[in-house]
Amino acid sequence: MAQRAFSVSERTKRRILIDQWFLFTIPALVIYVWFMAFPLFNSMRLSFYTGTGLVPSKFVGLQNYLELFTNPLFKDRLICALKNTFILFAICMGIQNTLGLMFANILSGRLKGHSVYRTIIFLPATMSVLVTGFLWKLILNPHWGAVNQLLTHLGFERFSGYPWLGKPETAMIMVGLVTAWQWVGIPTMIFLAGFQGIAEDIHEAASIDGASATQIFWRIKLPLLVPVIGLVSILTFVGNFNAFDIVFAMTNARGAPEYSTDIMGTLFYRIGIAGQHPVAQPNMGIGASIATVIFFILFLGVSLWLFTRERSGLG
Amino acid sequence: MREKRYLALLFIVSVLGVLFTSAMGVGAETVTLTLGSWRVDDVEQVNKLLDAFHQSHPNIHIRFNPTNPPDYNAVLRTQLTGGTGPDLMYVRSFKVGQDLFTEGYLEPLTGMQELEENYSEGSRDAWSLNDVPFAVPFMAVSHGVYYNVELFAKHNLQIPETWEELLVAAETLQTAGIIPFANGSKDEWDMNEIVFMNLLPNFIGGREARQEYETGEVPFSDEKMVAAFQALKDLAPYLPQGQEGVSYYDAQQLFLLGRAAMFFGGSWDVAFFVSSDPDFEWSVFATPAPVGRRTIVTFHPDAGIGLNSASKFKEAGYTFLTWLTTVEAAQILADEIPGFYPLNKNSIQIKNKYANDFYALSEGKDVDARFVWPELQSGEPDGYLLTQTAALAVVKGSMTPKEAADYLQTGLENWFAPTQKFKK
Repeated sequence: MAQRAFSVSERTKRRILIDQWFLFTIPALVIYVWFMAFPLFNSMRLSFYTGTGLVPSKFVGLQNYLELFTNPLFKDRLICALKNTFILFAICMGIQNTLGLMFANILSGRLKGHSVYRTIIFLPATMSVLVTGFLWKLILNPHWGAVNQLLTHLGFERFSGYPWLGKPETAMIMVGLVTAWQWVGIPTMIFLAGFQGIAEDIHEAASIDGASATQIFWRIKLPLLVPVIGLVSILTFVGNFNAFDIVFAMTNARGAPEYSTDIMGTLFYRIGIAGQHPVAQPNMGIGASIATVIFFILFLGVSLWLFTRERSGLG
Repeated sequence: MREKRYLALLFIVSVLGVLFTSAMGVGAETVTLTLGSWRVDDVEQVNKLLDAFHQSHPNIHIRFNPTNPPDYNAVLRTQLTGGTGPDLMYVRSFKVGQDLFTEGYLEPLTGMQELEENYSEGSRDAWSLNDVPFAVPFMAVSHGVYYNVELFAKHNLQIPETWEELLVAAETLQTAGIIPFANGSKDEWDMNEIVFMNLLPNFIGGREARQEYETGEVPFSDEKMVAAFQALKDLAPYLPQGQEGVSYYDAQQLFLLGRAAMFFGGSWDVAFFVSSDPDFEWSVFATPAPVGRRTIVTFHPDAGIGLNSASKFKEAGYTFLTWLTTVEAAQILADEIPGFYPLNKNSIQIKNKYANDFYALSEGKDVDARFVWPELQSGEPDGYLLTQTAALAVVKGSMTPKEAADYLQTGLENWFAPTQKFKK
């Protein structure tokens, strides 16, 4: 009897613990609701209002969205910003993440002094974006920049005085490359952790079976790394759609030249927060609707990723 | 570094201000007013001006409290809506100031006789709406062309009297391997604001000519406007190589280093050039008009000071504004902030040699504000954005001068009623 009573109370205790797990999430939940969810929904609410004061106070329904999607003043800029953000995303995926994967593959092997290389690759990620932007602006300067001096030295005379950040054709690519240069360390670290998580015996079994290093990479490592690649892609996606600082540092919040570096972040900042020089009167209602558009793009992207991940049973 | 020093200074000043006011509070006779501004660089200088006022008015204390320039409009508006606005504030000329006045944040200064006595109509216009003044004209900036004295002497160049001579001088310099003009268009605003609007009045005329456009007598695409864009096109080959990548800061450096001989700039650059290299020999000349036209200087009213209509100390504020109209106040401003000129029409001595040289360019000549400021900023797309897009396209060669003028006209037809009758 006694023994039985004891085991019941033990079970009840466990029951209580299982039922009350949510108590432990309360501190995090409070912080999340107060600092993330509430501002997010408040910003969505603001997108239905217009006005010039501290808080836009005149309710206009969907007018801000109508303006944003039909008035060429906003529509053209929105399409242009979307296009440029996708260019940025393409460069980050194609160069930053591909290089990250390559570096991680090399670093995961038995490379001499790999911790030195790891530090070098990760170093730019520790610098402030404003510093990186300023340095690269100097490096790319048409008159005293190192890039043009090097190119002229190598015999590419036509690049002497070429304004990399001044031409609409090259400015966005340059900004993308600098972003990739700065953040390549992050995917490298994540991929490296992924590679190290692949069991050594799979690797060994494959090489005993006579697979070459290339075959091991393409047939074994890469398929096992797909969930990590998905994670890195989604992080890049979110990062690019929220990016603002690098463009602000390298060109300006107008996305110079000719809006060719205007991304979603700068568009939002210019219209919703700073206003246009010299009147500088922000339109917070339209700004909030741009923020909401950004949110839905991110929401769609992340949902798509979660959906495919669940479906394929990976991760 | 400089900013940090000013911030520290600002902190000390505000702490002292608070201490001072609480100490004075015992007397209960003194009132303390705050003065909002975007000129964070002038804390020390403006305090000297305020000290002079305090000496003659011991019962009123004014505390200078500036905000970071790009945030000023937004911050001020937030404060005013929230009821925490400064008692006195720097007011931007024309549209931005008029908006604040229309919304009732600024006290009308209708009865202030001194305004009419001490300021020209042109200066008063910048801070009035339908002839009701809402701020005391405080300071203006001038535009011109900086030149490197040594390089001009070395290549036997005279100060150009006409636009044509300016282009000949530019050709001579370019042949000698020197960049004629330092300006570039990476930052975009400078090509519009201090190159195009600097030369513009020389091709279209001064205040009266501007008003002809604004009242719809002539379209913005007339041949004078085309000529102005043509002038910009003629200038383009003499800009630095890769000018699209040359920022305003780069341009200042190219000029300071002697790699470029001229620089389209404004009087606000004076302090920068003097402090960057005191030995560098430079001077300024007025942007010349083409043969057959009068030279007109872009002399832009920049800041006025207005009174918050919700202030608790309106009487004291009014006393300060009246004092600002005196020659004494104008003289202190001229002495303390070189490159920013008092708008008082009584004769003022400017001690700083460079600032004085710059000021001398506008004396005896017609002057006008930057073209788009007075009337063309209250609709979308605003005149500033249109001239900027057009000017950059002309420099780049993607628009002809005629197309640029037409672009300005059709853009303004969207909202600017007086010019809509020219709509095709």
